[in-house]
Order: sequence, then C-alpha cells, then structure tokens
Amino acid sequence: MNINTVEKLYNGINNQHNGYELILQDDTKFSVPLNSENRHYQAIQEWVADGGTVIDNPPE
Amino acid sequence: MGSITRSFANLITANGPSAVADGSVTTADISGNINFRNIIINGDMSIAQRGTSATGLTGGAYNTADRFYLNMGTAGTWTNTISTDVPTGQGFAKSFKLDCTTANASLSAGSYMTVQQRFEGQNLQYIKKGTSSAESLTLSFWVKSNKTGTYIALLKDNDNGRDISKSYTISSADTWEKKTITFPGDTSGALDNDDGASLMVYFWLVAGSTYQSGSLQTSWNSTDDSAVGQVNLADSTDNEWYITGVQLEAGTSASDFEFLPHDVNLKRCERYFQYYHEIRMYVSLARIGDTSGIWTPSFYYRNKFRTTPTKVYYDTDGYSGNSNRMRVMRLDSSNTTTTNINGGFYEDTNTDFAINSYNTSTGIAGYGDSAILTFYDLEADAEL
Repeated sequence: MNINTVEKLYNGINNQHNGYELILQDDTKFSVPLNSENRHYQAIQEWVADGGTVIDNPPE
Repeated sequence: MGSITRSFANLITANGPSAVADGSVTTADISGNINFRNIIINGDMSIAQRGTSATGLTGGAYNTADRFYLNMGTAGTWTNTISTDVPTGQGFAKSFKLDCTTANASLSAGSYMTVQQRFEGQNLQYIKKGTSSAESLTLSFWVKSNKTGTYIALLKDNDNGRDISKSYTISSADTWEKKTITFPGDTSGALDNDDGASLMVYFWLVAGSTYQSGSLQTSWNSTDDSAVGQVNLADSTDNEWYITGVQLEAGTSASDFEFLPHDVNLKRCERYFQYYHEIRMYVSLARIGDTSGIWTPSFYYRNKFRTTPTKVYYDTDGYSGNSNRMRVMRLDSSNTTTTNINGGFYEDTNTDFAINSYNTSTGIAGYGDSAILTFYDLEADAEL
C-alpha cells in the first residue's frame, strides 16, 4: 500500500478522534475506522512504525 | 434429460466407496461437509464488484474478482481482467487473467508476485489444524498460460507463522489444464477462532532469489515463504496467466467444483466488500453552512461486514469526482455544491455509518434548511 499522507479525523460533536483520512500516492482518499481488524488501519500502524507521521489538526 | 455425474470420492465415508458401486447415492452414504465445502470464495470468478479490468498494476491490491488479492513488488507491470476464456465444457463462464505489460526479466532478490485468498479462522476450525486429527487440504483449479514450467502453490498459517509449498507444472502452452494438489494436515499451530486472517493460499507467479534458496519446503515449517523452482512469469510482455475453478477443501482428493447460485456467491463476497452507486440521503432541518457542519442519517449496508470497513466516496458519478467528498443540494435545486467529508463519523460499525462533516463551508443553506446529500460510487472494504 503506497501511503502518501495520513490525517486524524475528529468527531465534531465531541471532538473525539474517530478515524483517519488515508491518502495514497495516486491521491485516492480513504476514510479509515479506528478498528484493529481493518486492513487499512493495520497498514497505517505499520506505516507509523516505519517512521510515517500522522497529521493532527484537532478542532479548536 | 442427460445424466449428471458428480464426484463424491472424498466425502463418502459412512458406508465406504462400495456404497456407490451401483451408481446410487443416498444421504446415508455421504458424510462430511458437502455444502460450502469449498473454502475459496468466488472460485469461479463470477463476482467482480470492483470492475472487470485494472491496468498499470505494480503493487498489492484487490482489483477485479472479489476476494482474490494480487500482491507484487518489483515484478513488472500488469493488467488484470475478468476474461471469458474458460476451459471448455466445465461450466465456467469467467476466468481471472493477468497480462504482463512491462517485463522484468532480471528480478531483484525480493521480487514477488502472488495471487492470494485469505480466510477467517472461525470458518476453518473443522480442519482441526494444530491437533493430531488435522485434516489434509486439497487445492484444485484450472490454469492456462503461454509460459510453461514449474509453478508453486503455498498455504500460509498466518496465526502461527507456518507454511507449506507444493509445485505443479503447466505442461502445454496456451492450454487449459486442471491441477490438483494435496497438502497434508498440520498437527502444529491451531488457527485462531475469530474473524482475522488465519489461513492464506498463494499462487506464486514471480519469485526472486529470496524465495528460491535451498529446496522447496513441501512439509509444514516455520521458515520464510518458499517458492523454489517458480518460473518468472514477468520475463516477457508476451506472458499471460489465467485461472478459474479454484477450490480448496478438506480431504485428500478433489471433488467437482462447487457452483453456487449468483446471489449466494455475491452475499458471501459482500462480507468483505460492497459497492453502492448514488446513495441519496434526505436531511431535514440540517445544520448546513455553518461551522457546526453536517450530520447525515445512518446508512445501513446490504449485508453485515466482517468488521468496520474502510470507505471511499466520490462526489461525481463514474469515479470522476474527488474522493471523500459528497454532493449537497437544496431541495429546490437552487444550489448544489460539494463538501469534504473531513469530520469522520459519529456512527461507524460493520452494519452502518453516519457522517459528521464539521467544518464545511458549503454556503448553500443555513441552519434549519433541508437538503439532499449524495454519495456517488461508494466503496466499502473490510477485506482480510
């Protein structure tokens, strides 16, 4: 999986982190749930372990 | 009406093979897991929700036939299609085709290319892996290629890091051949009883030297994936490879391919992937156009997913718009725009989802207005 960027998503109701926006190198965007059984979530964890940095812009 | 002959050779145990010497079979003669005996899902390649053609492939992805994952690295460039080229007289209508468009005749050590299917452990407890009663598994399939020679099929126990490889030979170029491979039961390493990826089957097509050292590991072992002897299918843009009728079943012999009704096959695939076109949601008294954003109603999937799926949305028909956006239209059609789905979810499970897009600035409606929200081409993916 050729990951370009990963950004945290936040629920606007309670401002809780509730997912990721995953963007691949072909610019396709995925909404990834916080679920350890989801293969894209697993790929994000591997990408972070390999040095990837998740963008975090929490709502104010 | 013509006669129908089916092979139950590895299923008849109650009264032994002699019970069918006269050609009659009763339920008393048959034991074993007859219905849904094929561990492979969509082995006849009849379901392709993602589409029937994908080009320029260089990495791992699910592309065409549901449940079949194409994994590769430094193995050339490929086109994957669903073909109507099938073995004659076997009842198949579709096959999975790979066509090399950019060759790699000088593989890197780590070059690899496999076609895979991955299975949940909870569906395989009956093979009793990791016990003294572990079942053998028999893999059968129809295959065709211009590239003759040795190919490798592999079973991988993803829970315990164990695998086993067997070779088969494509003998005649451009000719459909049926192959049958039996893997012995593994008395070590029980499969997890859950919905994770426990067992995998690999069809090797390209294997660099990393996978070709020593001798082929033809018994269950804990070494790295072994593909010793595998030909390089990527060595020419003339190369093609077709497969259909893939079946993996308990026992030491292959029964006839288990054809399932289309609706049953689709429903089994939809545990892992679902495609929707033009989902429209009516939102009454929505908060649209202010910084508090949009809350959509809950959307319920046709079938329950294995786990919470990843979602990709498009705001324009035909995948031509921007991904992860939705279209917002006032009820009087006086204004239409798109907005990012950047607020995540306030409901997100394996049965339904609802979106909160909190910092939209659509500007087409105010607090208390109503609108129609549209997602075009929604893909939801809970594959293993």
